[in-house]
Amino acid sequence: MEVKIGLEVHCQLNTKSKLFCSCKNEIAEKANTNVCPICLGYPGSKPVVNKEAIKKAIIASIALNCKINETFAFSRKVYFYPDMSKNYQITQYEMPIAKEGFIDIGKKIRIRRIHIEEDPARIVHTGNIKSEKYILIDYNRSGIPLIEIVTEPDFCDVSEVKKFLRKLISLLTYLKVFDPKKNTIKADVNVSVNGGERVEIKNVTGIKNIEKAIAFEIIRQKRIVEMGKKVERETRKFDEDLSITYTLRKKEEEEDYGYIFDTDLPIFESLPFVNEVRKEMVLPEEKINFLIEKYKISKELAKSIVYSHLFDLFTYLSSKFSDYNLIARLLGNYLKKCLNYNKISLEESKVKREDLLTLLKLVKDKKLPERKLKEIMKFYPLKGNLSKFIKEERVNVDEAIDKVLKENEKVVEDYKKGKEEAINFLIGEVLKKVNYNANAKEIRKKIIRILNETK
Amino acid sequence: MIEKWIGLSKEEKERFILNFIKKLKEIDKEYNIFTQINDEVKFKENPPLILRYNNGKYEVNEEFIKGIAENMLYLLPVAVKDNICVKGLVATAGSLILKNYYPPFNATVIERLIKKGIFISGKTVMDEFGFGSFGVNTFKVAKNAIDKSRVAGGSSSGSAVYVKLTSFPSIAESTGGSISAPSCFNSVYGLTPTYGLVSRYGLIDYANSLDKIGVIASNIYDVAYLLSMIAGKDGKDSTCVGNRKDYVSNLNYFNEKNVREIKVAIPKEFFIGDEKILDKVKEAIEMLKKYVKVKEINFNYSKYALASYYIIATCEASTNLAKFSGLRYGEKGEVENKSFNEYFSEIRSKYFGEEAKRRILLGTFARSKGYRGKYYIKALKVRDLIVKEYKRIFSKFDFIITPTMPTLPPKLKEVKNMKPIDIYNIDKLTVPPNLAGVPMMNIPLDNFIGLHLISSYFEEEKLLQFSLFIDELWKSR
Repeated sequence: MEVKIGLEVHCQLNTKSKLFCSCKNEIAEKANTNVCPICLGYPGSKPVVNKEAIKKAIIASIALNCKINETFAFSRKVYFYPDMSKNYQITQYEMPIAKEGFIDIGKKIRIRRIHIEEDPARIVHTGNIKSEKYILIDYNRSGIPLIEIVTEPDFCDVSEVKKFLRKLISLLTYLKVFDPKKNTIKADVNVSVNGGERVEIKNVTGIKNIEKAIAFEIIRQKRIVEMGKKVERETRKFDEDLSITYTLRKKEEEEDYGYIFDTDLPIFESLPFVNEVRKEMVLPEEKINFLIEKYKISKELAKSIVYSHLFDLFTYLSSKFSDYNLIARLLGNYLKKCLNYNKISLEESKVKREDLLTLLKLVKDKKLPERKLKEIMKFYPLKGNLSKFIKEERVNVDEAIDKVLKENEKVVEDYKKGKEEAINFLIGEVLKKVNYNANAKEIRKKIIRILNETK
Repeated sequence: MIEKWIGLSKEEKERFILNFIKKLKEIDKEYNIFTQINDEVKFKENPPLILRYNNGKYEVNEEFIKGIAENMLYLLPVAVKDNICVKGLVATAGSLILKNYYPPFNATVIERLIKKGIFISGKTVMDEFGFGSFGVNTFKVAKNAIDKSRVAGGSSSGSAVYVKLTSFPSIAESTGGSISAPSCFNSVYGLTPTYGLVSRYGLIDYANSLDKIGVIASNIYDVAYLLSMIAGKDGKDSTCVGNRKDYVSNLNYFNEKNVREIKVAIPKEFFIGDEKILDKVKEAIEMLKKYVKVKEINFNYSKYALASYYIIATCEASTNLAKFSGLRYGEKGEVENKSFNEYFSEIRSKYFGEEAKRRILLGTFARSKGYRGKYYIKALKVRDLIVKEYKRIFSKFDFIITPTMPTLPPKLKEVKNMKPIDIYNIDKLTVPPNLAGVPMMNIPLDNFIGLHLISSYFEEEKLLQFSLFIDELWKSR
């Protein structure tokens, strides 16, 4: 059976302030602390647009290959709900910021439009939805900027949706439009089966739930059709605990939002914003291709380097050191893993460019095995102070061997008695002493020679 | 009044105000002017108001006045329409749903005034949220200052009565004629500036694309003073784009010689209504013909202005009033055993007046599915035509003159027999310039009768200058 899926994805934007006031756009410990008369909807207050939010929306639109509309304006979507500070949401209706784009996941998923809007407040339940006596409202979220990305119903199955969402998130995260640490992603999903009625599943939070909701809904609809019945056009909700969708409202009860223009805000021209944005913006694909072509490194490492924001570091190191593949592994593999694992960025780490050059040279001069480099990169970016990790450059292996042989007389005896494995222990001890700055084979040769001499 | 006020010493001003408040209480009892007189200001951390009531006495708040007492406008008592937020005083906007609402911030215009030491004497009564032309759609109905049996006009009813009785100025607001109507009916001067000249931050909204804060005063100099203080860009209001200006220094620019260049348009369609009014306004025009060029013109589309206005205004108002649902501010109700829908419906039904309900219903309908294109979008297109029409006329003329109102203020007891549609029609002369957002001034000619002088966008300086010329000529005839 033919399946059609369309998405309306809501992404919170990574800005310093809310969309229409200067309250902070960040996760607060206490409820109702990042609030002001504007996001609380006090009578007499007026919205003023956050230019950073507009720029981020434009960056996202360009990255999604959309056409930016010459002018855009805001509208009021009116409905009464406890989380609405004004009982209307400032959004975009007739004049959105962008239209007609796509994301390529192997096939093109077309994007119908992108618009900017404000988030409502957060409802905090005090118990089970059916039995709770009251709910609480936290206005910290009220007024947070969102972009809504509306796709055409081009998806045919859940795996395509998964690819799309993952690519969307990594792109928006890379462009710093979206911060997975503090921003949320939600979607309204539209599913129809066999050319039948379209069912909308509203307000599903997070990629996993979106995938589950779609999977369930497809099965639900297919079963109905198989039984010879018709799927009803309706709005449903996804129950995260039971992983099912259930009816919210039927077609007759569809909301009528009575949109009007929000005339507290002017009509905006996008050109000044677009010009500012284009000056600063280079898409990741361009940088990835550049690395592959110029430095002949692998696509995987190139992607890793670009998406971890290590591109500038890479080009710097490559201007001073010619083994590009080694640099690619150092940054795209070892450093990236450390930053990811510890959830820090390059700027937040203690990495110094000169330290990295030192390490690269040591590896090139065979004074540091790459295996040891990998080890060092697990801890150095957090601690800094490279010298502690590499101790002395010139390591006296012979001294170390002497020491080890003296300290481990019994093991030496064992070896002399014929226990071959004993030498491995001795080699290991020597390596430890020289901080792995030596070749195991060479150490073995030296130990054997010394022990043979003393036989 | 301001010119006289400037001449008083600091001590004289303070003595005057302490007595003045007593006087205000008396006239309030007689004319129903205020929702709150500024006489019981409790000392707060950031006192925005100058007087303090301490142990049964009024005293000047010494800490606050440091640095502004020397200001020549120190303690000038200005009344403020109750839909403009003044921290420390109530802001009901004429509605029971905000009967006990004390805003946590000052409107920008108020900040600008109190910085100069102005004393906010009180909040004046008005039609609920601005919905009315007579001042009767509210819990406290003002009486006309000239004839107590008549309406004061609306929606800035209390403001106009205050000005007529005390000669001190008032800050007011207009959406479709709410400064011009009460100014005309109380025979005082009322300026509605260009939409976007004065910041609306802190104004409790009626219709965001139509609301303008303006000035009502007993003479044109006071209007010019106050406008100079409140006009100009404000970062908190994205639609406020005008520049700060001194409207006072050059006020008496026009004389019998240089006025000859002025061209005035008289649109035929606006000369309708009461004969007494038309006669007076025509008399004024005849007087002007000796000095300026006057020409009769056609004003196209004027008959569609009222419909376009009421659709746009009620559409916007129905969204602005959606926020009043018994949460965070305003009246609240019992929450036990109720759904959210039941809760807010009860509160809104109980506390909104009949006219507010009527306009919410109208506005919600006109922007609803299936009707939105026919009404809301169409009304926007019609407004655009009317804006273009004003621009066309002002490309050839300096001013437009019409009567301000088509009727005399009705008796209070007659009003309940009037149908809403007939009351809306009273606005037909003030609505077109309000819809287009051009500036206008009511110049009183006789009791209850005013001349409406209209100029092009952001030409308040010229408007005030020519108003003064007309006024002085009329008074000396």
